[in-house]
Amino acid sequence: MADLIWLHEGALRRTHPVFAMAAPGTPAIFVWDRARLAAGHVGVRRQLFIAETLAELELEIHDGDATVLLPQLAVAHGADRLLVPASPDPAIIGQLVMIRQAVPALTVEQVADTAFVTLSQEPDLARFFRYWNKARKAALRPHGV
Amino acid sequence: MIAALVAALPADVDAAAPRPMAGGRKAAERALATIDPVAYAASRNHLDGAVTRLSPYLRHGILSLDEVRNHALAKVADPRQAEKFIQELAWRDYWQRIYLAHPDRIWNDVEVYKTGFDASEYDTELPADVVEARTGVACIDQFIAMLHETGYLHNHARMYLAAYVVHWRRVRWQAGAAWFLEHLIDADPASNNLSWQWVASTFSKKPYIFNLDNVAKYTGHDINTRMSDNRVLACSYEQLSELLFPNLEPAHG
Repeated sequence: MADLIWLHEGALRRTHPVFAMAAPGTPAIFVWDRARLAAGHVGVRRQLFIAETLAELELEIHDGDATVLLPQLAVAHGADRLLVPASPDPAIIGQLVMIRQAVPALTVEQVADTAFVTLSQEPDLARFFRYWNKARKAALRPHGV
Repeated sequence: MIAALVAALPADVDAAAPRPMAGGRKAAERALATIDPVAYAASRNHLDGAVTRLSPYLRHGILSLDEVRNHALAKVADPRQAEKFIQELAWRDYWQRIYLAHPDRIWNDVEVYKTGFDASEYDTELPADVVEARTGVACIDQFIAMLHETGYLHNHARMYLAAYVVHWRRVRWQAGAAWFLEHLIDADPASNNLSWQWVASTFSKKPYIFNLDNVAKYTGHDINTRMSDNRVLACSYEQLSELLFPNLEPAHG
């Protein structure tokens, strides 16, 4: 199985668990997707901040539409699994759906970041302090467990 | 490729100009090494307080909430000394959980306004004088200039600006949230937009407002808090509630 990692602007570090999931030496790609950045109101200063961060990461960087480029890059790299840091961003989730449709043979897997707190059941999100009352004990322990 | 991307950015930002936070993991680790959870708890509400400025690194996953919390715990003798700091990290975790479970809440009112006004009574666009930092309210104009010039604002200044836009100018929170997303280097759709909703009262029990005394208490001498330059803020909370929310029953007791 050959992997490819798609690192997006919500997970810009080499210590993200997505790297541990992939075989050593798996190429990691960042796509500078102008349309998605614009739709997400990512201003110029934030783009500069992201670019500075990318400069340290030693990734393959491509400029264009992620839904077009990633299927092509998966084929070019001979990848049959695309690993992606999990994101709540509907724009990224939507792009993953389109990539799956473009390359049905490609397995697309989202990899969660290390948890802030691990809770036995889903907390009530109606107000912060309902969540905090359930999460506090774990949050004050190393690794949130 | 990076140089080409930076060169292609609009010229209204000088890549070489000093900025409050530089990008990259190395810069993030330097910032993390200097955090002081005890000092943070004591002074975080002050504009010159011991805030950490880790937000852009957390926003872009350059640091994880887990590693920042673990680092904070390692700096204190008792976890409770780091509780206020960790609670702020928890707010980010909370917003992200809502974003994942209810993405529709990022741009839609979670609840009705508790201001005595219907959503339809709010403007949908930011007034030009707000965008141009010429509202005539001195401290507000300074905060707007700071936002535009640095891409960063202390959290308290964000709350003041958000409350001014929504409650003094009666503009829908969505317009302000999009404005902040455009300018803040740490802007996250969940933390940003749901905080605007908290201020607006569409995700809280009551609207957040402030007065000039509060600004003076939490800001330094570089912010103009003279009464003559900030008249619309120079009121008691009772007076402000009556002025800003005339349709609400006055609070008793």
